[in-house]
Amino acid sequence: MLKLRIIPILTFNGFALVKTKQFGNPRMVGNPVQTARVYNARGVDELVFLDIFASTQQRKLNLKLIGDVIKECFMPVAIGGGINTLEDINDLLQIGADKVVIKAKALSDALFIKEAVRFFGSQCISIAIDASPSEGKYFIKQNEAKELISVGDFIDQMEDCDVGEYILNATHHDGMMNGFDLDLINFVSGLTNKPIVAVGGAGNPAHFVTLFTNTTVEAVGSASIYHFTQYTPLDVKLELKKNGFPVRL
Amino acid sequence: MIAIVNYGMGNLASVKKALDALSLPNLITDNHEDIKRADAIILPGVGSFHQGMQNLEDRGLVGLLTEEVLVKKKQFLGICLGMQLIFKHGTEPYPCAGLGWIDGTVIKFEDGKLRVPHMGWNTIVPVMENVFPHDLNGDYYFIHTYHAVPENSKVVAAKVNYMGEVVASVKQDNIFATQFHPEKSQKLGLALLSAYFQGHA
Repeated sequence: MLKLRIIPILTFNGFALVKTKQFGNPRMVGNPVQTARVYNARGVDELVFLDIFASTQQRKLNLKLIGDVIKECFMPVAIGGGINTLEDINDLLQIGADKVVIKAKALSDALFIKEAVRFFGSQCISIAIDASPSEGKYFIKQNEAKELISVGDFIDQMEDCDVGEYILNATHHDGMMNGFDLDLINFVSGLTNKPIVAVGGAGNPAHFVTLFTNTTVEAVGSASIYHFTQYTPLDVKLELKKNGFPVRL
Repeated sequence: MIAIVNYGMGNLASVKKALDALSLPNLITDNHEDIKRADAIILPGVGSFHQGMQNLEDRGLVGLLTEEVLVKKKQFLGICLGMQLIFKHGTEPYPCAGLGWIDGTVIKFEDGKLRVPHMGWNTIVPVMENVFPHDLNGDYYFIHTYHAVPENSKVVAAKVNYMGEVVASVKQDNIFATQFHPEKSQKLGLALLSAYFQGHA
């Protein structure tokens, strides 16, 4: 039976790991290579590593550091931040990334995503969606630009590109640790049959039980809970198992 | 030495890292002499079937690999796309020929109620108990949209449940292949690689 994927997300500022609240107030939370080593030793299902300032600061990813992070991992790793070209994707796959996570470029250039899927295969192209609610609908803010695109329209474009999965974050729940935006997750689930990694809002293991009880997603990504509480991915899995969900222990 | 065939299809670094961790001498290469000299061959790869065959042809590797594996009976491991390519027929993105070492076709998961790609850790169902004994049975990491359907079920080494039972691994003489990624399956994956290559590198 397919197990639920319980994924720690590491967010990086170019120098250190940081964690934001509602995408603001980045707080330093540690060294990426050491953290990756710990997660590998703990046997986590998968790791997502995002340079959350690469696009806005128009920086390329630090391949040396990311290579060092990947070297620690004997599980799948997805890498994101500032990916703009096929060469960027190839560079990451060459150093051992299994998937790349694309956000800004997907919003501005769906044709690029189509080309990337054709070149590298849909399984390694993950699309990040940072959604916020407004007047009863969900929108994504384009980087820098004030322009909003509706989540529904964006998913339509990405479905047409046949991407591999969605990493779906609720920006208003980011770092708040008071539970997931189940409405958003169910809304997006209704638009696609691709895997969805639900992100944003986990503060305790019960939140994960609520998530998997009330949605059809099979993967969850979290950061704050692992940085700021005593809970580890194993604690989350034990709670899920207790509630009858399939997890890998 | 184990040759990890470089044909421009994805994640070779992870395979190398896994073999390095097991202290198995290995080389990422598309050089014909290296591959001839190798004791064993790994064909990894992610991406599209047709593109994979095209890339093997562009590097003159179709004939060479067939000679080394089918004629010289060199120990072989195919991973993910590298497993799919050893079948006779592919369908991604349209019908095309594979290496043809095993009779069968690689087809897409049908639209059903489960999500596609089949992505994540799933428990295998061993068929060949000698290939997947108790200590190699468990959860491996899968990520695929297409799956292999062999003509002869005797080559199936393990299955996995996803919209019915699909093939997770095949074994025929010196040819072994997995749809899942042992190099991404942590301790269990390393144990499988170690068991298969023990004494052959």
